[in-house]
Amino acid sequence: MNRPTERSPDRREFLKRAAAGGSTVVAAAPYLITSTALGAAGAVPASDRITVGFIGVGGHGIARNLRTFLAQADAQPVALCDVDTRQIAKALEVVRKQRGESFSCQTTQDWREVIARSDVDAVMISTADHWHVPMSVAAIRAGKDVICEKPTLTIAGGRALVDTVKRYGAVFQMSTEDRSIPIYHRMAELVRNGRIGKLQKIYVQLPGGPGNPGDPKPKPVPKELDWEMWLGPAPWKPYRAGLHRSHWRWNRDYSGGNLADWGGHQLDTAQRANDTERTGPVEVEGTGKRHAGGLYDTYYEYHIICRYANGVEMHIDSGGTGLKFEGSEGWLGNSGWCKPIEASSKKILGSVIGPEELHLFICPQGEHRNFLDCVKSRRDPYFPAETGHRCCSVAHLGNIAMDLGRKLRWNPDTEEFADDAEANRLRSRAMRQPWRI
Amino acid sequence: MSERTNMVVGLVMMALLLVGAVPARAADEALDKSFDALKTYDWGANRAVLGAIDKAVVASNGKADAQKALEKRLAAVLGTDATGAAKDFVCRKLSLIGSAQSVPALAPLLTDEKLSHMARYALERMSCPESVKAMRGALQNTSGRVKVGVINSLGVRRDAEAVGPLSALLADSLEEVASAAAAALGSIGTSQTAKILGDFQKKAPEGLRLAAADAYLVCAERRLADGKKAEAMLIYKSLAKPDQPKHVRLAAMRGLLAATGKK
Repeated sequence: MNRPTERSPDRREFLKRAAAGGSTVVAAAPYLITSTALGAAGAVPASDRITVGFIGVGGHGIARNLRTFLAQADAQPVALCDVDTRQIAKALEVVRKQRGESFSCQTTQDWREVIARSDVDAVMISTADHWHVPMSVAAIRAGKDVICEKPTLTIAGGRALVDTVKRYGAVFQMSTEDRSIPIYHRMAELVRNGRIGKLQKIYVQLPGGPGNPGDPKPKPVPKELDWEMWLGPAPWKPYRAGLHRSHWRWNRDYSGGNLADWGGHQLDTAQRANDTERTGPVEVEGTGKRHAGGLYDTYYEYHIICRYANGVEMHIDSGGTGLKFEGSEGWLGNSGWCKPIEASSKKILGSVIGPEELHLFICPQGEHRNFLDCVKSRRDPYFPAETGHRCCSVAHLGNIAMDLGRKLRWNPDTEEFADDAEANRLRSRAMRQPWRI
Repeated sequence: MSERTNMVVGLVMMALLLVGAVPARAADEALDKSFDALKTYDWGANRAVLGAIDKAVVASNGKADAQKALEKRLAAVLGTDATGAAKDFVCRKLSLIGSAQSVPALAPLLTDEKLSHMARYALERMSCPESVKAMRGALQNTSGRVKVGVINSLGVRRDAEAVGPLSALLADSLEEVASAAAAALGSIGTSQTAKILGDFQKKAPEGLRLAAADAYLVCAERRLADGKKAEAMLIYKSLAKPDQPKHVRLAAMRGLLAATGKK
């Protein structure tokens, strides 16, 4: 499925021609091609496999993304990339356990080497948040399809991502499982079909944190880590053990905190139920608490109110996970991640969505399966760039409102704040050289 | 109202003013302490010592005189021997409230390998013409990746006055510099840059072909957004030719279709 340049022969075309015996290279084919590559024993022929480069193979990158792709017969891992060589070794071990000890592929600390390959169809990006958009955009420009962890880092970055996806007609999936989880799908579908009457209020609970301020003291860079590449477009800072590998999320240079991370889950269902997936609130205000000192500077406690043009008011609060939708004729929601739906009446809970009503898309097999299917069909995946960007924007707007300590008016059409030049400055950040979007 | 009542009202008002003055004085003292701490602030120090500056910057919104005074005080730090960490902090604050007044203090940092990014962090967000003028000026005095950063920021700001020097950089021996210049020209997206990029994409070396094509595609979008449909169509047609990589040709075809539907 890769889209090679004219000068670089297509790997699958080569294999197809070789398998058909219609090429002069076929003499070498028995030496080069295994029977499983040609589709024997129920295996997907190599020509129908999507070649995937894995960029960022930390905890989530391995446990969730690499392992799930390995379970897809039509996905072929061809590159493992991480700034930390210890993670590359772990990832390679995982692949070998599943694909055989003789498995080998490109391993590198430099993601640009992965997207430069003409035989890579798609990349799975599971890095820290500040790399999501620059890597995605570069990969798309190189002709790849992209599945990338959420969230974005800035509003301007998200818009640039959307524009690039649109420009090239690339398949882009913002990688979350929510649209494959029946509970969240059902909540959105019930609300969209008016089962609680006219939607009036949404209550979203997201985890807070960090619980401690972190140690800001610089430490020597581990020999296995390319710290400069880890930082990438973010402002230069010395290495601190409290950032890599696991706690970078608590620093605004690399993330929007749990508000942005968990927002990528719960805010998506909220926006979907509110039918505002491709727009956003018109007014935002919020208050939050941060640790005064230490290393971490994201809000560990927050309360944000978003008002939408349709009159719906959304409250986002730190403390656990949960959703509640209040309408003119009832409510529904849940308390806790993937917990069962509760509602104001049994009628709502048992309601059947009729064939003539609105049915929202769901892919119970998950975001990775949905992505692979879309790479083949060239359709938008279930959490495409625009929808993902708008979802992340809600979190960014919340952070900006808390940073400035005032109510902000937002125009979701122009993606500008009204009458607030300072707030508008916070939509983007200059990137450290040489990186750009 | 009797004299006695007047006196009571006067006393109450004075008391209220005094009550208000106490926290204001405390805030001033805290701000002074923060600026003192900034002189020696370094990585690993407790960030809480700078908290009063954080608060003052946010509170200065809508108070032009106070904001100017604060900006002046912050910018002054950049000319001292304060640490990189302290100047990093100052640039972040100026990125929010900085104006033309701060440009002379930020401009010299653009050529400093360690501080160039943070100078751009502030300047890129400042809408005044002085900020882009400073970055344009830095093109002459930078090289390598520092120059790439400056080029990138000029692209973000879509600085039409930088077209001349950026065009010259398309021939730079460093691919990173030439690639950044192409991207910036695409982002600026005028009729002039369309012509320059049209020539460039025909002769771009192998390592720059994708960058040249992407810049040209971005330029086409800008021309279309400016109502110059014919110019955009010309770009798309040239990129839809067989000598381009398949995904670029597809992007050009998409652009052609989108442009065709525009009035």
